[in-house]
Amino acid sequence: MSDLLVVEDLTVTFSTARGPVDVVKDVSFTVGRDETVGIVGESGSGKSMTSLAIMGLLPKGAAARGTIRLDGTDVLGASPRELRQLRGDRMSMIFQDPLSSLNPYYTVGLQIEELYRAHRGGSRAAAREVVVGALRQVGLPDPERRAGHYPHQFSGGQRQRIMIAMALVCSPSLLIADEPTTALDVTVQAQILRLLADLREQSGMGMVFITHDLAVISSIATRVLVMRRGEQVEYGTAEQVFAEPRHDYTRMLLDSIPRIDDPLDEVSA
Amino acid sequence: MTLLRAKDLTKRFVSRGPLGAKAAFTAVDRVSFDVRLGETLAVVGESGSGKSTTARMIAKLLEPSEGTLEFEGEDVTRAKGAALARFRGNVQVVFQDPFSSLNPRHTVERILMAPLVYQGIAPHGSRRAHAKELMERVGLDPDHSLRYPAQFSGGQAQRIGIARALAVNPKLVICDEAVSALDVSVQAQVIELLRRLQHESGFSYVFIAHDLAVVRQIAQRVAVMSKGRIVELGTTAQVFGDPRDEYTRTLLAAIPRIDPEWERRRRERA
Amino acid sequence: MARYLAGRAAGVVLILFLVCLFTFIIFFTLSPDPAVMICGKTCTPERIDQIRGVLGLDEPFPAQFLGFFAGIFAGRDYGEGANLVHCAAPCLGYSFQTNQSVWDMVVERLPVSATVAIGAAVLWLFIGIVAGLLSAVKEGTWWDRAAMGLALGGSSIPNYVLALALQYVLVVQLQVLPFPQAVPFSDDPALWFQSYLMPWLVLATGYACLYARLTRANVIDTLAENFMRTARSKGLSPALTLRRHALRPALTPITTIFGMDFAALLGGALITETVFGLNGVGKMAADSIAKNDQPVIMAVTLLAAFFVVIGNVVVDLVYTRLDPRVRITAR
Repeated sequence: MSDLLVVEDLTVTFSTARGPVDVVKDVSFTVGRDETVGIVGESGSGKSMTSLAIMGLLPKGAAARGTIRLDGTDVLGASPRELRQLRGDRMSMIFQDPLSSLNPYYTVGLQIEELYRAHRGGSRAAAREVVVGALRQVGLPDPERRAGHYPHQFSGGQRQRIMIAMALVCSPSLLIADEPTTALDVTVQAQILRLLADLREQSGMGMVFITHDLAVISSIATRVLVMRRGEQVEYGTAEQVFAEPRHDYTRMLLDSIPRIDDPLDEVSA
Repeated sequence: MTLLRAKDLTKRFVSRGPLGAKAAFTAVDRVSFDVRLGETLAVVGESGSGKSTTARMIAKLLEPSEGTLEFEGEDVTRAKGAALARFRGNVQVVFQDPFSSLNPRHTVERILMAPLVYQGIAPHGSRRAHAKELMERVGLDPDHSLRYPAQFSGGQAQRIGIARALAVNPKLVICDEAVSALDVSVQAQVIELLRRLQHESGFSYVFIAHDLAVVRQIAQRVAVMSKGRIVELGTTAQVFGDPRDEYTRTLLAAIPRIDPEWERRRRERA
Repeated sequence: MARYLAGRAAGVVLILFLVCLFTFIIFFTLSPDPAVMICGKTCTPERIDQIRGVLGLDEPFPAQFLGFFAGIFAGRDYGEGANLVHCAAPCLGYSFQTNQSVWDMVVERLPVSATVAIGAAVLWLFIGIVAGLLSAVKEGTWWDRAAMGLALGGSSIPNYVLALALQYVLVVQLQVLPFPQAVPFSDDPALWFQSYLMPWLVLATGYACLYARLTRANVIDTLAENFMRTARSKGLSPALTLRRHALRPALTPITTIFGMDFAALLGGALITETVFGLNGVGKMAADSIAKNDQPVIMAVTLLAAFFVVIGNVVVDLVYTRLDPRVRITAR
């Protein structure tokens, strides 16, 4: 079976006053159906730009070259219309800050409903049923009533659940999660990670999980891409990257993270 | 020796509705702890736990609704004027976002000398020399003393924030999520710097953070806060090794970990 | 909600009372003696005293204010016997220069000012928002630069210059429009429209330029919001993305400014009405200032304050409907 997502020699270039700047350089990886690929890197590594390029959501002044194929469809060569048909339907994305990612002026139900109807059509009433089902699936209590509430009426974790419900309402084959748990408390993070892993497994979709947190990546990804300053530093199975890192930068990153279980050193006098 | 003593610190925020209808929210509920000279006490908790409100109260940036705050045996709860200025000379704060807490239009030298000006303390030698000395202490290039904050990276800017806190030779430095916004590699360096500075000068830290793994690297004692209360306070070894409170255990269990088998294999290779 | 409204209403009453009080203090203590003004050049001290008696100016300040304030609700009488003048409630004072109750004068002229204000508002909202929106969507293009340059220039032309220029070109030179007259709509709709067209254009120009720039800035800010990225990531059509997700957040803050501008305009467009000779509240204010007809000046001031205070409340209430985050929730 062919890969779900193929990214080959992806380069993202920003045109600036001082000339073009490559923020992503020759990045290549694949995502199979039914697996999670983690992209990890520090700020400025180009990991978010990579994900925006896949979604065709690069900001003004940025251009992507190379190849991005989703299930055989050429994403970089797609017309704006074709791209719109892919987004939300065959590939979806969730973001770091769920509060600012939801429009404060509309109920969460409407925001999920409009995505569903944009791709599947049908009556509002029919879409409503689907919306409530999607909210129930992500574990939001009392979904019938809560669908009529506004984003500010939810907690941070609930808002991310709502974003996930929205992203998955059309059952896409690819989900891109860009730092989805970074803004959340650690206990809530654990719940959202479990939810994402469960939903991915149930639906058999592919997931690209972007984070700066190596420990989070290790708990969710089967393969890992390490990025630094727009370049691909290391790419392999999670086990290989974490147990036998080949690159100095990966080793340095792994050495930097504070461990919760290591023996205490001289600090605790 | 006890440096700072918080006793039953309570902060209620009252929001006024139309027609003066009041709704009170207790952000911090009867929190008590001591900070000893030269130690690092960490206050950890999730968002809404009251840790930042507690930090602001002990930094005297926020008046407590109830309770008392003692510094070196003196009640400073309602300190004003000269007493407050003296307190500020002994207690300094390092904030989370270095860029928003440094004036973008001032040079590093001016930023570092500002606390001395407020305290009416003469610099060691010239202002420039003193600023350069401070920059060297926190691992910055002293030749950059006339640069502006925007010309530094996030980690360097946080070092400026630390240098500013040290300018007046404080006895207590309150770090409010001081390393949370930094990349892991930079975070490790800044934590190392904080430990070295304490080792050199012997001041105390109150280290406010949500990241337990970071806290574990720097604190001798840890207070775990939840819903405005301290649910557990003990030595780092006790809180992490033998947590007594249910909430502490939940918090520790939720921290993502790298597969220990992978970790072992990696260390064997290194 | 009911409690909130009651609270706001109480606040409005208090503010209006204070406005009354301060306006009264300013006009009846700080300005020249109205009795002298009324009496004219051939005046004797006895005559002045007599007029002061009729106006109640010989009484202490609190009594004078009470008389004025009570008059608003109960009406009042000036003088006695054959000289008695009755001013029916709501009595905002009595103009001895025109021999009319000030309230009657206001009621007569308010429709003219309201017509000017409403017509201008429709124009400037439409032009300003459409131009601003186009500029924002085409940010950085020649259209954007041209429109914003024009807007900057347009908002710096004083109203009287524009009014005189328009009048000279359209009425005197080209003779495409008649000289404005405040005819009621029911008398002659065509003449009514032609008469108000220039005042509308003049007033709308400055506001339209301002609103175009505001709209542009707000839309550009909104387009950069994270929720716009989410909307695009959902595969919504560009039209729906713009209409639903960008427009409402961008235009909601403009409601506040519009409410204030419109309310202020209801209190009379002094310059425009005067230039075009429209007998509205603004022209009445200008005339009464020229003649120092103090009861009228004071009433116009009160009226303007009244509209601003009420406008404020209406804006707040509308805002709670437009922005769910400030919606007042029943406890």
